[in-house]
Amino acid sequence: MKAETKQLYDYILNKEHHKFRKEIELEFDKNMSPIERMIYRFEEICKAETPVILKGEEIAFIRTIKNIPDIFTEQEWEEIKEKHYIHELGYMSNLSPNYERVIANGLLKERENADEYGIRVIDAILDLVKRYKEEAERQGRYDVAGILEKIPAYGAVTFREALQSFRIIHYSLWLEGNYHNTIGRFDKYIYPYLKADLENGRITEDEAYDLLVDFFLSFNKDSDTYVGVQQGDNGQSMVLGGIDENGQEVFNLVSKMCLKASEELKMIDPKINLRVCKNTPLEVYELGSRLTKAGLGFPQYSNDDVVIEGLKKLGYTEQDARDYVVAACWEFIIPKVGADVANIGALSFPRVIDRVMHRDLKACTSFEKFTDCIKTEIKKSCDEICDNIKELWFVPSPFMNICMDCDIYDGGKYNNFGIHGSGVATAADSLEVIKKYVFEEQSVTADELIEAVDSDFEKHSELLPKFRFETPKMGNDIDEVDELAVKLLDWFADGLEGKKNCRGGIYRAGTGTAMYYLWHANEIGASPDGRRKGEPFGTNFSASLFAKINGPFSVIKSFTKPHFERAINGGPLTLEFHNSMFLDNDCVLKVAMLVKTFIGMGGHQLQLNAVNMEAMKDAQIHPENHRQLVVRIWGWSAYFVELDKEYQDHVMKRQEYVV
Amino acid sequence: MTGTIFDIKEFSLHDGPGARTTVFLKGCPLRCRWCHNPEGLKREEQLMVKTARCKSCGRCFMPCEHPECQLFKRCIHACPEGLVEISGKKIEAKELAGILMRNADILNFNNGGITISGGEPLMQWEFVEELIESLDCHTAIETSGYAEKDIFKRIIDKVDYILMDIKLADREEHKKYTGVYNDRILENFEYLKSSGKEYIIRTPLIPGITDTEDNLKQIGEIVGDNPWEKLKYNKMAGLKYPMLGMEYMIK
Ligand code: SF4
Ligand code: SF4
Repeated sequence: MKAETKQLYDYILNKEHHKFRKEIELEFDKNMSPIERMIYRFEEICKAETPVILKGEEIAFIRTIKNIPDIFTEQEWEEIKEKHYIHELGYMSNLSPNYERVIANGLLKERENADEYGIRVIDAILDLVKRYKEEAERQGRYDVAGILEKIPAYGAVTFREALQSFRIIHYSLWLEGNYHNTIGRFDKYIYPYLKADLENGRITEDEAYDLLVDFFLSFNKDSDTYVGVQQGDNGQSMVLGGIDENGQEVFNLVSKMCLKASEELKMIDPKINLRVCKNTPLEVYELGSRLTKAGLGFPQYSNDDVVIEGLKKLGYTEQDARDYVVAACWEFIIPKVGADVANIGALSFPRVIDRVMHRDLKACTSFEKFTDCIKTEIKKSCDEICDNIKELWFVPSPFMNICMDCDIYDGGKYNNFGIHGSGVATAADSLEVIKKYVFEEQSVTADELIEAVDSDFEKHSELLPKFRFETPKMGNDIDEVDELAVKLLDWFADGLEGKKNCRGGIYRAGTGTAMYYLWHANEIGASPDGRRKGEPFGTNFSASLFAKINGPFSVIKSFTKPHFERAINGGPLTLEFHNSMFLDNDCVLKVAMLVKTFIGMGGHQLQLNAVNMEAMKDAQIHPENHRQLVVRIWGWSAYFVELDKEYQDHVMKRQEYVV
Repeated sequence: MTGTIFDIKEFSLHDGPGARTTVFLKGCPLRCRWCHNPEGLKREEQLMVKTARCKSCGRCFMPCEHPECQLFKRCIHACPEGLVEISGKKIEAKELAGILMRNADILNFNNGGITISGGEPLMQWEFVEELIESLDCHTAIETSGYAEKDIFKRIIDKVDYILMDIKLADREEHKKYTGVYNDRILENFEYLKSSGKEYIIRTPLIPGITDTEDNLKQIGEIVGDNPWEKLKYNKMAGLKYPMLGMEYMIK
């Protein structure tokens, strides 16, 4: 990193730019339609924004208005919710816009095809850009002014113009109130600009890298004003590598530079996803592992071989499937034309077990009868989740609509809904207990089991260690248990198959949990696997927290058994390593090969953490000394000290079992 | 042939080439003061209690009828936290080989293999020999080098890679800190050099004991140009002593 950028880096880290921030208050006329309110809000915020260009900053634009007033009052929301299903905050989120087109065309050209609302949004942006340009001139920053003179009004030609144009588009999407605005296949659409610059001798590789570092900083300037469950959950996912629409490898110089910049900056944004497949050269995995070593919890890997096939099976065209990207956490979505809602609901596997155990176990004469009931209950739960989602409505977002290749209000080319599946391992382990003790050994009766679970193992306490520690668990490559998990996921996919959603799309089953690993765990008490009341499930697709696990080989084997092509909404297996594992380059290479092994064995998605327990303990006592300590939550990374204690404890709890 | 092991670790990164699985054999004739695997010292099975998280609920002290618990007067199946375990498991060499070979595909793909460690694996050399013969992959051994010449030779000739320690060069110092003289070790090192096998010599850097300038210089002379690695001392090394009711001698 060059000296100017380092200064800027420290400036941002110290949050000095927060001093420019102020709040805005807006009132909305009751008679204004939602889209008019959106336009009005956008125009007002653009006007209220103060152009700020930081010292040494090459890629400009920073938020100075920190709040985005809601266009509806609470009461209005209530009225809307009476008629409609509202997903999260009501905006269409987790989209991957067509930056490629907007950067190449420029906003004036986009304006020609825009409707009246689109035109007003673009004019507001261009007006703010003009004021930025004037500020740049005032400061004598003619480099910045020169670029803003041209873009984003006109199409970008150089690498720097393309980065600046992206920044303005992305900034405007946030300003419009959209969230989880993903970055998409950045290396794919930005590389042509870099290539042209290099070929024409307009830039050197080193200069390009410096620019990229400056650009990466921009994802961290305003991110604390972005909405999410916790700091860091902002969906700035960048996808690198993978094959393109024609089956060609994308991984290029920009991909490499991004991995390096991320490693050097050690900041939680952008969140890097690396698309790989069986044939991806080891070198790419090695670069990825080097980034893992930095301790940011990414890159997250996804397997093209599995994901593309899975998406095709769900009805995505081959071309679109090949172009998949990753949403805020891990959901696979299609850029430009996809309007999927990839995280609309979640099935709790352990709750299914809990219900069926209480209701049917006593009457079941065999384990097969019991699993038949489980299967039926999964179907029923899927129906309940899906039936609940009717009359889905989104706040209109004119600028997002311009940036997509489809009309997102009416629905995109794809309008599928993704359903997470939480607690797969907890459920499979629970089924194993029931199978082994209630049916095979018949050493525990149905009544005893239910009593033990209902009393949180106060009654029949001798069963707790037996169930918890002495019964086969998912994650140890024991077919008997792993097969149960395979079946649970198959039944989940069966339960959703053929169902149509209210936007004309289908439902997709997935292995992610998001925050449901906590919420769903609190919905039920203890579970038959020896999980006590209040203990969370594993995050995403991972072993139960207290399962004694042989090690990564067994975990990989267990977790590559399911039929992912049927449950491809996304949700990674997580492997955690103590950071001392990454002593030297040799270790980095070994980790890289392990990832390649996982991909070769048909795993769909993998996320690796290099964690440092000592640092986390110390950070709880001296947060001021650990501002840079990054940990992974469920689908995103966060600064440890900025998390609520509940999440801090959970991250630490995961470690108790790693020695 | 039955042997006693106390752990199997998948994806060990520091025990030889590639990604490996390491199996730890119980029993060691040395008593290095810094030893970080205290459960590897005794040949016999031992009770191991993770005391740090013990909530003193007393359940493990209630009399039980499991035959395996009687020796220890403590029930290993009662702890709700899973803190009470027996370290040491008797297993047939062929059965162990079968377990280890389950991941042969992964080990081969990663240019790795199986490493036999301890304790001092050569204390159970017949078991080691049968194990190696039953393994169909790259094999390595991690040894203190303290074994009878013939035994050392016999096993070294059968493995693909050797990680051997030279901890202290001075004979008396070696006796003082490890409980034995280093004559055998140095003699075996001579054989190792002539064996034509791939190997690495390792020296754990124990502050004030092995990391002295003098010691490292002397070991350097013994090792010469051959591969030599100095291992940083791990501050967590003493962690397991209290679990075995033992005291760690390094402060
Ligand atoms: S049962 Fe476990 S928690 Fe209770 S006293 Fe024994 S070791 Fe401690
Ligand atoms: S030789 Fe190894 S196992 Fe034996 S006492 Fe020394 S350090 Fe421990």
